[in-house]
Amino acid sequence: MAATRERKVPALVDKPMDFCPGCGHGIVSRLIMEALEELDQLNNIIFPIGVGCSSNLGAGLECDRLHCCHGRAGAVATGMKRVSPDTLVVSYQGDGDAYNIGIAETFNAAYRNENITVIVINNTNFGMTGGQMSLTTMEGQKTSTSVHGRDCSVTGYPIRFPEIVAREFPGAAYAARGTVTTPANINKLKGYIKNALQAQLNHEGYSIVEVLSPCPINWGLSPVKAMERIEQELIPYYPIGEFKKRGEEQK
Amino acid sequence: MREIVFAGSGGQGVLTVGLIISDIAATEGLNVTWVPSYGSAMRGGTANCTVKYCAENYIYNPSQEQPDLLLAMNEPSLHMFLPMVAPGGTVLVGDTVTIPADARQDVTYVHVNCTEIATSLGNPKGANVVMTGAIVKLMGDFSREAAIAAMNHMFEKKGKAKFNESNAKAFDAGYNAVECLSDASCVR
Amino acid sequence: MAEMMKGNEAIAEAAVRAGARFYAGYPITPSSEIMEYLSWRMEEVGGSFVQAESELAGINMVIGASACGVRALTASSGPGISLKQEGISTLCDEGLPAVVITQVRYGNGLGTLFTAQCDYNRETRGGGQGDYRCIVLCPSSVQEFVDLMAPAYELSEKYRIVVIMMGEGTLGQMMEPVTLPDFVETKRTPWALTGKYDYKKIGIFERDSRKEAVELREKYDAIKENEQRWFDEGIEDADYVFVAYGVPGRATLGAIRELRAEGEKVGLIRPITAWPFPEKAFAKINPACKGVITVEENATGQLVDDAALFIKKTHKDRNIPAYALTYVYNTPPIRSIKADYFRIKNGEVKEVY
Repeated sequence: MAATRERKVPALVDKPMDFCPGCGHGIVSRLIMEALEELDQLNNIIFPIGVGCSSNLGAGLECDRLHCCHGRAGAVATGMKRVSPDTLVVSYQGDGDAYNIGIAETFNAAYRNENITVIVINNTNFGMTGGQMSLTTMEGQKTSTSVHGRDCSVTGYPIRFPEIVAREFPGAAYAARGTVTTPANINKLKGYIKNALQAQLNHEGYSIVEVLSPCPINWGLSPVKAMERIEQELIPYYPIGEFKKRGEEQK
Repeated sequence: MREIVFAGSGGQGVLTVGLIISDIAATEGLNVTWVPSYGSAMRGGTANCTVKYCAENYIYNPSQEQPDLLLAMNEPSLHMFLPMVAPGGTVLVGDTVTIPADARQDVTYVHVNCTEIATSLGNPKGANVVMTGAIVKLMGDFSREAAIAAMNHMFEKKGKAKFNESNAKAFDAGYNAVECLSDASCVR
Repeated sequence: MAEMMKGNEAIAEAAVRAGARFYAGYPITPSSEIMEYLSWRMEEVGGSFVQAESELAGINMVIGASACGVRALTASSGPGISLKQEGISTLCDEGLPAVVITQVRYGNGLGTLFTAQCDYNRETRGGGQGDYRCIVLCPSSVQEFVDLMAPAYELSEKYRIVVIMMGEGTLGQMMEPVTLPDFVETKRTPWALTGKYDYKKIGIFERDSRKEAVELREKYDAIKENEQRWFDEGIEDADYVFVAYGVPGRATLGAIRELRAEGEKVGLIRPITAWPFPEKAFAKINPACKGVITVEENATGQLVDDAALFIKKTHKDRNIPAYALTYVYNTPPIRSIKADYFRIKNGEVKEVY
């Protein structure tokens, strides 16, 4: 049997988190912890955590964290950062939490250019409650509240929030979208997360990284097919990349 | 205890008259409260505030009850508050206010053409200060000197000391336009 | 000489002196002057101020600042406090201290702007989802409000609980001579999130809600035992005992003193904590008393439920009636309270309980 190289688990993770098989949350959580470790910030981090599958983050961490009311992490993060300006404050939320119920807080934290980092896991549905439609559900996508497929003529179209930040909020420091479908994309995503954290450390302003993440259980797909769906259906609508780079002037 | 209601339209400075009187009372070391109407209550065409002061006792109820003196700077204010005035009380009205022939007769009406007086002093915005002087005289609770000193101190705190001289003139004009109606001061 | 100060401004300055270093809120009459004052004052003392996008955001910003160990404040009124209830419930769940000021105004829904006491039940019963209480202080003057700000923070940190300062529109809008307290030294709470994980906390899914609920009840029992505050006068020999808080409470004090001077045997309990309700005061009441009478700025009678509960609990052998004088909004004139007292004495008013 060939020797396997064991990967070191970041120090902040103290136990396995209860994500479903094939879920992308675990990968993103690990990337955030690795980035914190590499930036030497393991002792300088507070996570305001959203409600939904993102809540599982709080179950497996050895660090300061607070579970927020559903959707309000943007406001909680604001309160934390205003009184602790030198501590990293990173909100961890799903698309339902950050965009549906929390759009006012998410939008206004960006609008005020709070010096915080927002990580949004976009799996195009409300994962924890059984896969209901969210603001990021694709047109035609079947969910438990859009059983015939999402009809955008009556529900609106899937929201692309990092693009709004990059386009509309001149002060924002950084806005990007990544995904977890391939090792190359994962490495790229880690770079985005690190950039976002560095922007905050340097007091450059608001940073957001959205992650296209698979939800095989609610999508009714195998883990592999779920990754394929991201590549084939989501990325054409939700491009990955940096929409606002650090130090970049407003376009 | 004394209760005074100051009423008029927005911009006539009635809240300021109330503030001056309450500051005079506070400077004299009295118990004193000032309660304004606020918010939607201001939309009825009148602004008003209530001042109570008392040498001996705590002011139990700071709200409008039964004023000893009503300042009515316009007719809507007169109509709104006249029924509330204590029997034997005083109703001080400005230039534009006509007392109806059938108005209650158990109160004393005092007319002071405060706008005309203030304008003649070259200080048309000082009509409310003219009324302040008139009220101090009518109530008989404070000396002219103490009242002017407290009034000036209040405006100084607001960074408006440059108006002290013109304010004192307006005050005196009002003070001299009326006779004291009170037979006993609540203070001295 | 005490300076004339507007209630809301004196209260805001008192909060700063009591160590508040974070404010987030949303404008609403009749409490807005508190945030207007703090919008410039916080910066002067090295604190933070955020004009939040909503009442919801305001209380959630308070959660964030309190979680980081800073004395945090928000203020609002009627509908704004309704919007904050989920956040207040969350503060109680997380054991985070905070002070929430409400300058109560009358009405359901959007309601009115008139000074009132219509939110007694909401503030004293928890108000949001769950099984919790907040300490509720109900001052009757600007000076008392100012003097209670530091104790409010001390109580909120001692018990890790939300303290509601239940004022009224009048207390925010009126001016009175005020003597401001000295500044307290500010320091972060021992359980503050610092980013260093000094204060260990179990994960959300490992919490034992049943055990926590029992512990919470024990905490509430301790508060009920130790923290009742009230003012009373003339209740040991009274035929009738008034119960009233806030501005009607002080007006009723004027009424009972006038009535006493006229030979009526009346007394007053003025709660300073609406929760815990000053049950202990009722033990001092004349056992032969003929009734308790609440004076309330609401229409349905809310305080009377507590007054009745505790007069009947304390004097079990006699079914002492509880009456409610409800004046909807605005403080009743002293002469109205007196006239209504005589109506009760003459049997013209039916008891509530």
